[in-house]
Amino acid sequence: MPDTIKRRSFLKGSLAATTAIALPMRALAQDVLKMGVVLPSPEADVGWSHTLMEGVRTVQEAYGDTIEVTVLENIAEGPDADRIANGLVAEGNTMLLLGSFGYQNGGIQIAQRRRDVSIIHASGYLTEPNFAPFTAKYWQGTYLMGMAAASLTKSKKIGCVGAFAIPELITSINAFMLGAQSIDPEIEVSVVWVNSWFDPASEQEAAKALISQDVDVIFSNAQDTPSVIAVAEEAGVYAFNLNSSMKEYAPSKYLGVVGTDWGPHFKRLVDAHVAGEFPGGNFWLGMEDDIVYTADWNPDIPADVVSQIEATQAAILDGSFTVFKGPLLDQAGTERVADGVAMTDGEILGMDWHVAGVTSPLPS
Amino acid sequence: MSALEFLLAGTLAAALPLLLAALGEMVVEKTGLLNLGLEGMMAIGAAIAFICVYHTDAHSLGFLAAALVSAVLALIFAALVIVVQANQVAAGLAVGVLGLGLSALFGKSYESQTISGLEEIGLPVLSQIPVVGPTLLTQDIVVWLTLLGTVGLWYMLNKTKLGLIITAVGESAEAARAIGYPVGLIRTIAVAFGGAMCGLAGAYASTVYTPLWADGMIAGRGWIALALVVFGTWRTGRVVFGAILFGVLSLGELTAQAIGVAIPSQVLASLPYIVTILMLVAISRHQTRVG
Repeated sequence: MPDTIKRRSFLKGSLAATTAIALPMRALAQDVLKMGVVLPSPEADVGWSHTLMEGVRTVQEAYGDTIEVTVLENIAEGPDADRIANGLVAEGNTMLLLGSFGYQNGGIQIAQRRRDVSIIHASGYLTEPNFAPFTAKYWQGTYLMGMAAASLTKSKKIGCVGAFAIPELITSINAFMLGAQSIDPEIEVSVVWVNSWFDPASEQEAAKALISQDVDVIFSNAQDTPSVIAVAEEAGVYAFNLNSSMKEYAPSKYLGVVGTDWGPHFKRLVDAHVAGEFPGGNFWLGMEDDIVYTADWNPDIPADVVSQIEATQAAILDGSFTVFKGPLLDQAGTERVADGVAMTDGEILGMDWHVAGVTSPLPS
Repeated sequence: MSALEFLLAGTLAAALPLLLAALGEMVVEKTGLLNLGLEGMMAIGAAIAFICVYHTDAHSLGFLAAALVSAVLALIFAALVIVVQANQVAAGLAVGVLGLGLSALFGKSYESQTISGLEEIGLPVLSQIPVVGPTLLTQDIVVWLTLLGTVGLWYMLNKTKLGLIITAVGESAEAARAIGYPVGLIRTIAVAFGGAMCGLAGAYASTVYTPLWADGMIAGRGWIALALVVFGTWRTGRVVFGAILFGVLSLGELTAQAIGVAIPSQVLASLPYIVTILMLVAISRHQTRVG
């Protein structure tokens, strides 16, 4: 049976070849940093996962062949994600990027069990010496967007489509309001909560509902698709979003983007991991860290407001201006922050009340 | 535009994906089967239609392709439950998950792309009526065709022999078989029809209603459509009513927020579901015979 023999000898040969290749590979693997990335949504041209991957690419460019990145996208939060993160560690990844809040508990368990693994986690609050969550100070950018919105609105009504009423999103809306009021104290902000992280159709209906109430500038707060931006362009109202630019979906009415560039942060943490000095702890990153930036400003913004925005941005960068500084009133008119007092990072991150001027009631 | 005008203009479009999928499933269930894979069949239809329209700019082609592909997916379900006699719940869920997975796979490189939707057409003369004319009576062609088709479906189910055969197959398969009707074939055709309707529903969601493609964009509408069939007690008119009610309430919730009504948004968001439950209770109290 020549056929069998042939197959057997082929198998033998290929086995030898595999061993021959595998041996030097294993020796080489000592020098290659293996990094695992878990993303909550598919990577697209825009959105949250896209910006995370841009950051990862910055690291890849810096490390070249000495880093091996495994990306697993569209992983639902929960037991499945924990299993996948554990699997990445078992495969020898010593650096993990967990790209969503819900990966927190599984990630912490890995961090406690495997001190040699360093974990970067998006928008959580738990920390370990080898577990470092990060959050962007979007509010610095949305304040500037509020200034621009105030200069463009005719109805003095601006609005926001929000995913869920959690502090991170509430804070961005409050800053948007404060920025608008710094230009025109009469401005009001309406908020529509979709109560979903992902439902493009409802997000669009929410935007249309705002537009039907004469809202003429819309903040797309935490939508990963250009759903709101596209509706705004069609209806002829201005709109902006977070994370990455969606200008191509609204060529004429795009107000701008409050972008995030995670590259510098990821690079710093990977460098630290390689040096054996990974800094566990919370990272609240803003313009001063080169993480939050604004771009693609609409040319319709009047020149005097542009210079005011630039001056404010410079003041945020050099630390002479903070967005959340008293006196701050809440919606009921109660003073929450006294005159001249700046809120601490912790207070800002736990903000569960709207500033005066936001007309929509906050879901309790 | 007032809040009322917004509701009048948007409700039919918001209800349409639910209506199409629910009507398809209604026919499936009338033949005595239950296909739980609506979400997946809608998703694959949405992805296929989007890809077609993205490349050809022809919406009709997109709808056709979506209906075909979703019908093929539904035929997998038919093969499982009719030929192999597999468990309907398991087979339906499997087909649903398969559809979601395939839609993500095919749609991968189209993630977050946009296309242009369809022009809205006003009904002649009637669209001149103030308030209602430019809003409720000005819709895209798919809405008008669906309304026509719904009337046709109602007629077929209630006034023709075919409708009686479908009912017979569903209510007593043995009797239908005994008098010579091909039960398996009729059920297979119904399942394929249900799949095609889900495909159309998905196509409308991705190429007209939003119009964009993103993985997971059906966002639970398949399950709502499934509930609507029960809500409508397998009657065309009631399914239409349920879909429109759901559309009104889901838009009304967002409008109430935009106006600034002091009701927590979670309560408003759950309103469509609460009303559905209340309606179910009301219907089952007033009507002993269901179906």
